[in-house]
Amino acid sequence: MLPATTPARFLDPELLARIGSLELLARAVVEGFMSGLHRSPYTGFSTEFTEYRQYNAGDDLRYLDWRLLARTDRYFIKKYRADTNTQCHLLVDTSASMNYAHATPVTKLQYAQYLAASLAYLLNRQQDAVGMVGFAEKVHTHVPARNRTGHMRTIYGNLSLLEAAGQTDLTQSLHQLAEILTRRGIVVIISDFYDQPDRLQEAFQHLRFKGHDLVAFHVLDQNELDFDFTDPVLLLEDAETQEQMPVLPDVVMGGYRERMRKHVEGMRRCAAANHVDYEMITTKQPLDFALFSFLSRRSGK
Amino acid sequence: MSFLTPLFFLGVAALAAPILVHLVRRTRARRVQFPALVFVRQVPQRTIRRRTLQNIFLLLLRCLAILLIVIAFTRPFFSGGSAAKDNSAAGATVILIDNSLSMRREQMFAEAQRRAEAALDEARIDEQVALLTFDKRYTVINRFTVDKTKLRSAIGTLSAGWDGTDYEQALRGAESLLGEIETTGPKRIVMISDFQAAGWNHASATFKLSNNTQLTTLDVGGNNPPWNVAITNVEARGVVFGQKYLDNLVVHVSNFSDTPKEHVLVDFQINEQTVEKRDINLNSRDSRVVEFTGFNVNDGINRCTIDIVSGDFPTDNRFYFTLRRETPAKALIVESASRGRSDSLHLQSALTTNEDLPFTFTLKSTGSVDPASISDYALVILNDTGPISPALADTLSKFVSGGGQIIVSTGPRTEVESFNTALQQITPATLREAVQTKAGESVAITEVKFDHPIFEVFQESGRLASANVIGYFRSEPRPNAAVLARFEDGSPALVEARTGKGRVMLFTSSLGPSWNDLPLTPLYLPFIHQMVRYAGAREENSWYGLGQTFTVAKEREAPPAVDTPSGARLSENRLTPDGDLLVTAREPGFYRLRYNERPGFAAVNIDGAEGDFTKLNFPEFVVSVTGGAGSAEGGATNSNLSREEVEGRQKVWWSLLLIALLLLLAESFLARRTKMVKMIG
Repeated sequence: MLPATTPARFLDPELLARIGSLELLARAVVEGFMSGLHRSPYTGFSTEFTEYRQYNAGDDLRYLDWRLLARTDRYFIKKYRADTNTQCHLLVDTSASMNYAHATPVTKLQYAQYLAASLAYLLNRQQDAVGMVGFAEKVHTHVPARNRTGHMRTIYGNLSLLEAAGQTDLTQSLHQLAEILTRRGIVVIISDFYDQPDRLQEAFQHLRFKGHDLVAFHVLDQNELDFDFTDPVLLLEDAETQEQMPVLPDVVMGGYRERMRKHVEGMRRCAAANHVDYEMITTKQPLDFALFSFLSRRSGK
Repeated sequence: MSFLTPLFFLGVAALAAPILVHLVRRTRARRVQFPALVFVRQVPQRTIRRRTLQNIFLLLLRCLAILLIVIAFTRPFFSGGSAAKDNSAAGATVILIDNSLSMRREQMFAEAQRRAEAALDEARIDEQVALLTFDKRYTVINRFTVDKTKLRSAIGTLSAGWDGTDYEQALRGAESLLGEIETTGPKRIVMISDFQAAGWNHASATFKLSNNTQLTTLDVGGNNPPWNVAITNVEARGVVFGQKYLDNLVVHVSNFSDTPKEHVLVDFQINEQTVEKRDINLNSRDSRVVEFTGFNVNDGINRCTIDIVSGDFPTDNRFYFTLRRETPAKALIVESASRGRSDSLHLQSALTTNEDLPFTFTLKSTGSVDPASISDYALVILNDTGPISPALADTLSKFVSGGGQIIVSTGPRTEVESFNTALQQITPATLREAVQTKAGESVAITEVKFDHPIFEVFQESGRLASANVIGYFRSEPRPNAAVLARFEDGSPALVEARTGKGRVMLFTSSLGPSWNDLPLTPLYLPFIHQMVRYAGAREENSWYGLGQTFTVAKEREAPPAVDTPSGARLSENRLTPDGDLLVTAREPGFYRLRYNERPGFAAVNIDGAEGDFTKLNFPEFVVSVTGGAGSAEGGATNSNLSREEVEGRQKVWWSLLLIALLLLLAESFLARRTKMVKMIG
């Protein structure tokens, strides 16, 4: 947990919603944060020196320290830490169910957009290549990962254009992405995960098989957990199928909460079994909570 | 079950409130988009159904509570008659509804109908029930049936009538109806009435219900009958012959209340024109006589009314009667032609001193009478004529057969043989020997039929016996003759007999002073007048009571059309053998007889005693009709108490309010529990 005095603690989603530009929003969220805590899964050759080692036959002569060879007549190879060439794909669920907000002006999709934008900014700040994918029944928006100047505007632009519509087929979309994303990297999935954990497990395994590190942000509205309605009777309409159902909230509440709790627990188990960094966040939680969770988990990798 | 204030049933409309709230809350279910219906759908639906049922149960509790509160406000109470329900076998019940005149007060008859329907409701479904109405007579509306709907419909069509009340007749009718049905269950009579004392003559009551008949009395009259002043009777002669009404027209006014009434205005009108008004005072339970006389009477039929202005029960404040002024018919007095001074002096004097006699008289001697002129007269008085010529005798015989009236008196000049021979065909009695009392002795007229119209005026004084008779003929009445008076020795004094269409009266003494001192006494005038009036046979009632039948003489071939006082055309067509119409009086007022030449009227009045609303002595009544066997305890108890008192004793509303309170508490607990479950959950 972040200390309560951290300035980013005040970055409430409702306040952020007043910022029109995702770029400004992401900058506001990330500024003040420390540099990326994670390491690149690749050990490359970069400007930051780490150690010497003896030359072995077959080593690239470009990395031979010629100056040392001249002074000492020994063959050493220079090693550098490379932490800026990781690819990260931000997968945002845009199904109709993401358009839900109760007692707060921020929908789950908006929250996902803020989070994705913030993560993109954070990653870009570390010189990581950032891509973005929008999906519902299938992938409909795909911005490949790049680390060029101006790429972030493309990311922000595409993120802001996302609209909640259509039904979710998360498993299908993840399988599809596993085939699309050929280069290993970090895959951040931001969704409400209304799918069977068993089916998702296969998709997670598929992505893991392709060598991706998976991070799952399970975004929910607080009311999806509480089912707290003041009305004695409600006519609930499924956001995706438009199916209607009369409900007595006080009667249904107990059973619903139990089932929702089991679902979240199932997701947590499924993620743990597949080495997926899983975090369940609600749209009322400040964005720094999600960022800190992300960075703290990545710090150990 | 009965209700003291049934108007509060309008409060049942309040039931709509919880139902509307229930419906409105149902229909106002907000439509909300929700992303995770998949989990909602997994919640067992029976929970929702149970909750729905719980809500309906709460709704029912609320409705029931409101209903009970409404019923409590109507102040229900149980009237008698439920005992029959406890028996295993269904019994038989006769519902007697009083539809007499007194039930026209306020909403009394509607209340009686309501009580009758309540009695129907209390009857078992398989109980045989009959419906009777009664006033002075009873009318079977419905014989025994289990069809309550039919009975309820029949009750709805009933209305109060105009006649008086006779509880004995009603009970007799009900008992006789109960005798027609065989049942092992109880037999019950439910009598619904205002229970006037006037409807029950305890002194002459001999009727008792059988032991297995239960009597339930339902009083709709209340314990405080209103005050009432009524005209109970008018004594008037229906037909007069002079311009002035010389007799006393007697009006009886009664105060049936316990408080004196002052300045009661009695208004006498003829043909809707006031003749005279009198202001009278009446003590409590007082009856006054008001007399009118010397007023002018127009020719023909006159509609007369007596009104009192007292502001109470209006129906008995007006009395209807008619006065008909007719032209006197011609009458002939025939006397012996033997003397210079007329022997008919007294008779002639008596008959000409009163203008209001049905005849104008002409005096002739036997010799001067033209037999052919007899037919010009309606009455012939043969006053000790002596021998009569065969031609005259024959004419007289035809005269009587054709409807003429003859009065015959004997005297010293009457010869037995000649008399019996000449008047053989018409005389009501055959004369025997003449009787002359010894000097200083006389006989009296005794054994008088005071119920005969001639002698009814002497009924109270009985002074006819004071006349001294010194001479008379013994006689032998004909088989069809009636002896109206006899002398002390039993010999007929006055005999009458009908011959053909006419009538002959024979006085076996003299109408002059020859054989008696009757002309010298005050009795003579009324005696002669009554005899002549009777012979005139032109008396008619000035009014009829309800239920009485009067005759409407035919006009040419057929009787005239008759309109009832309410204006409806009478449909009765009962005719006498002579073709006259018989009409039974059914409502008070003037019946209009639509003769072509001149309309006629017949006045009909209610029973004056019906205006006495004094309550019946219930214990006396019940003991009298049940023989003290105690089969009417429940009913009697109920009857003695007013509805308010019965309701006040039972206090059913308390129990209802208590139950309603408990229901509301239960509803509140359940509703709160539901809310708590929601909050905890």
